[in-house]
Amino acid sequence: MTGQRFDWGAFGRGFRVMVPLWAGVVPFAVAYAVTARAGGLSVWETCLMSVTVFAGASQFAAAGQFVGGGVPGVAAVALVGTTFVLNARHVLYGLSLSRQVPLSRWQRAVAAQFLTDEAYGMVLVAGPRDPGGLSVGFLLGAELSLFAAWNAATLLGALAGAVLPDPDALGVGVIFPLAFLGLLVPLLVGRVAVLVAVVSGLGAWALGRVLPGGLVVLLVGVGGALLGALISTRRAEGRA
Amino acid sequence: MSGWLVIGLMWAVTYAARLLGLSLGGLNLPPFWLAFLRFVPVSVFAALIVPDVLGSPEWAQRLVGAAVGGALLWRTRNLAAGIVGGFAAYWAARMLGV
Repeated sequence: MTGQRFDWGAFGRGFRVMVPLWAGVVPFAVAYAVTARAGGLSVWETCLMSVTVFAGASQFAAAGQFVGGGVPGVAAVALVGTTFVLNARHVLYGLSLSRQVPLSRWQRAVAAQFLTDEAYGMVLVAGPRDPGGLSVGFLLGAELSLFAAWNAATLLGALAGAVLPDPDALGVGVIFPLAFLGLLVPLLVGRVAVLVAVVSGLGAWALGRVLPGGLVVLLVGVGGALLGALISTRRAEGRA
Repeated sequence: MSGWLVIGLMWAVTYAARLLGLSLGGLNLPPFWLAFLRFVPVSVFAALIVPDVLGSPEWAQRLVGAAVGGALLWRTRNLAAGIVGGFAAYWAARMLGV
């Protein structure tokens, strides 16, 4: 972005770069909506959660716990706690992104609402290759692309869920790991990065048997990055 | 607790985490923490991929898809080629009953 004007060209390119991921997002949003409706949430409430919370894993975890349109007292507190833990990894994403994209106070407030794993990954990898560089326009385009697909599919699922095919039958669950693999591979430059990836991946697999997914990503994200930072700074000191 | 209230609280805790991270960009960090941030994506992406593949009930088919997708990505550096090729390999493995 140059000056104060918003770069709509970068916004459009950011929006389009996420389109291949829609194939993975849409069936999950539909599945979430069907589960939420089965728990007694209205179409309006089901969509409200996708618009506000906008976090796939937490919405899934929550949808299964609604009974008659609400959640019993203690379970509701536990659910909000789980949501916090699942989404605390976004602190890392924000910290990592905000060092590379200059954001005003308002841009931060808007960008925060629409941040996701997928947008973070894609913006970090594809953003610097954009003609305008990693800009606020590209970031918001990528974020809102996923937001649009997620919410359109939520509405579709909430209205027509029962007649749509089961996402497991379509096998679309494999699209997310493939997309993240596409983001990871270009970053595997040098032995330290490969080591960090292997240790983090296997660590997450082991921890994932006992802890919820979002917490695993947070713990492993911190642990793996600490390992990489320790090795690379030791090396730099050794050379100095 | 009513649906509205639960959704509102879930929103509040999620938004707070997202805003906190984005608000910390102005920090002046020593080299160690700059290196830390460089490795965050590597470690986060790996943590998102491996449990989704190996922890799935259909892990064998997904492993085939990920291996083919990864090889294509390595050779072509093309995201669409990796996703489409990996998905096709996954389906081939599924149909062949791997």
